[in-house]
Amino acid sequence: MTRNVTAELLVLRKRAATWILLGIWTFLGIFFAYVIPYALDPEDAPGGLEQFFPESLAGTLISGFPFFGGVFALMLGVFALGSEYGWDTLKTLFTQRPGRLRVLAAKLIALGIVLVPFVVALFATGAIASYVIAQIEDAPVSWPSAWLLVRAIAAGWLILAVWAALGVLLGVLTRGTSLAIGVGILYALVIEGLLSAFVDSVSVLEPLTNVFLRANGYSIATALGASTQDIESSGPGSFSGPFVDSVQALAVLVAFIAGFVALSGFVLRRRDVA
Amino acid sequence: MSNTPPHSTDRERAARDAPHGFATESSNLVIETSALTKRYGDAIVAVDDLELRVRRGEVYGFLGPNGAGKTTTLRMLLGLVRPTSGHAAVLGAPTGSPQELARIGSLVEAPAFYPYLSGRDNLRVLARHAGVADDRVEAVLAEVGLSARAPDRSRTYSLGMKQRLGVAAALLKDPELLILDEPTNGLDPAGMAEMRDFIRSLGKGGRTVVLSSHLMGEVEQVTDRVGVIRDGSLVAEGTVEELRGRAGLRVRAEPLPEAARLIRALPDVDEVTSVDGLLDVTVDTSRAPTINRLLVEGGIAVSALYAQKASLEDVFLELTKRGEEPS
Repeated sequence: MTRNVTAELLVLRKRAATWILLGIWTFLGIFFAYVIPYALDPEDAPGGLEQFFPESLAGTLISGFPFFGGVFALMLGVFALGSEYGWDTLKTLFTQRPGRLRVLAAKLIALGIVLVPFVVALFATGAIASYVIAQIEDAPVSWPSAWLLVRAIAAGWLILAVWAALGVLLGVLTRGTSLAIGVGILYALVIEGLLSAFVDSVSVLEPLTNVFLRANGYSIATALGASTQDIESSGPGSFSGPFVDSVQALAVLVAFIAGFVALSGFVLRRRDVA
Repeated sequence: MSNTPPHSTDRERAARDAPHGFATESSNLVIETSALTKRYGDAIVAVDDLELRVRRGEVYGFLGPNGAGKTTTLRMLLGLVRPTSGHAAVLGAPTGSPQELARIGSLVEAPAFYPYLSGRDNLRVLARHAGVADDRVEAVLAEVGLSARAPDRSRTYSLGMKQRLGVAAALLKDPELLILDEPTNGLDPAGMAEMRDFIRSLGKGGRTVVLSSHLMGEVEQVTDRVGVIRDGSLVAEGTVEELRGRAGLRVRAEPLPEAARLIRALPDVDEVTSVDGLLDVTVDTSRAPTINRLLVEGGIAVSALYAQKASLEDVFLELTKRGEEPS
């Protein structure tokens, strides 16, 4: 399996789209978490000026993962499998030795590995941004605990992983990239976004929205210090609750990953490569 | 020419011993299908009750017009497409199984590679999936003459170079069985000749090669046996010589009807047909002097008399032509 994974890492590592997505994600993540709100009116930010200081690093950054980061991970997941249909490389891979499920497993592991720099790059750049702001404000530099950072990075990875797994599934189902990305973004914006917005007035939707990726992702984010006010005002990715218990959120996200992976494997194994 | 190849005693014994009813890998058969069928919905039958048997060490030409079911068959043999019914075994293993795929190299339809990866990296990816050492990549690149362009991205390759890279990928596992679907696509005449020699050398090395092609000349020069598929079924199988049949005579004479009447009267003539002002005579070619003397003595002006053998292309066209459409 190690050689299968190194093969897939080579495929992802040498693909320009991977690095372009990483660059845009890191740049925009910092731009929306630090640059814009600090430049506009830092005192009026939901978490006050402290939101931009190193101590709030975990909470400030993790709130960008459940929607904004999710879309990037979705694209990465779609590219990992959907492109194989476009290039017809799936037949080349499936006629090598390992078998379809092993190829899928290698792709998923490689994708999981590639998500690590996505999380770490944002946290590293965020740390620099928060330090610079603290220096500008002449505020004392106090970093969050290592345990909180580890949990935040792990949570960020998990949130991205569930969206990437959804991307893989959509890539397999639609046998391509364009429709898969379209459907994925439609789901994130319209299905989850609109239904979550109506949950206050239509209470019957609550059980449904409780299992949304958005609800569970933000629930984990709030448990790590993200401001609920910040999440409520984050544009198309906003969420105003209800939030669920963080352990329950963790379980739901893991279950989603397992479900998406199992369904992708089932379809990939059953379907003809014509 | 025969519709089904003779079954050897060894094969029958091996088939009896195999749990799935097929010959085991110790038998002489590398590919064996039984009533292999692929339907798409109720209307389309891509492969219909196909009985295919490829022997170990031979270069087998798999011929058929577009849409005859060649590629679907090859995809079924590689486990890419699931049969609707029937069975297939390759190298004694179920199709698509790791045991099977580890010993097969294939190039099905157009070669497909990651366009942003170099030729070398594409092969590295495949080698790692196939469990082959990375060193093998350089060997196969050299074998197909692509070493110099190996660092370039595969999207910059010409069609012919992609085809070579496809063959290199098929050779990575040093396979016992090579399945090549139109391997000369996109090659210039020199490249085609080179590829033919290459395929022939592969066959001589003890490998079994299944070659699907539209190019009769290519098949004629390279293959040991040929199978012709039409509408998803094997309509003929045999060596090229068997398929072409025995030679006959072609006669240009005046008056033609009288010449035909005289020739038909000979006892060892099987058939005389008139085609485009010529007579095609199905008879042993050694009878040419007798027929010439007969015609001349009968007052017929003979302007040409020569041995004529059907080309593989003629046979192919005859075998694959469809019945008259109902009016």
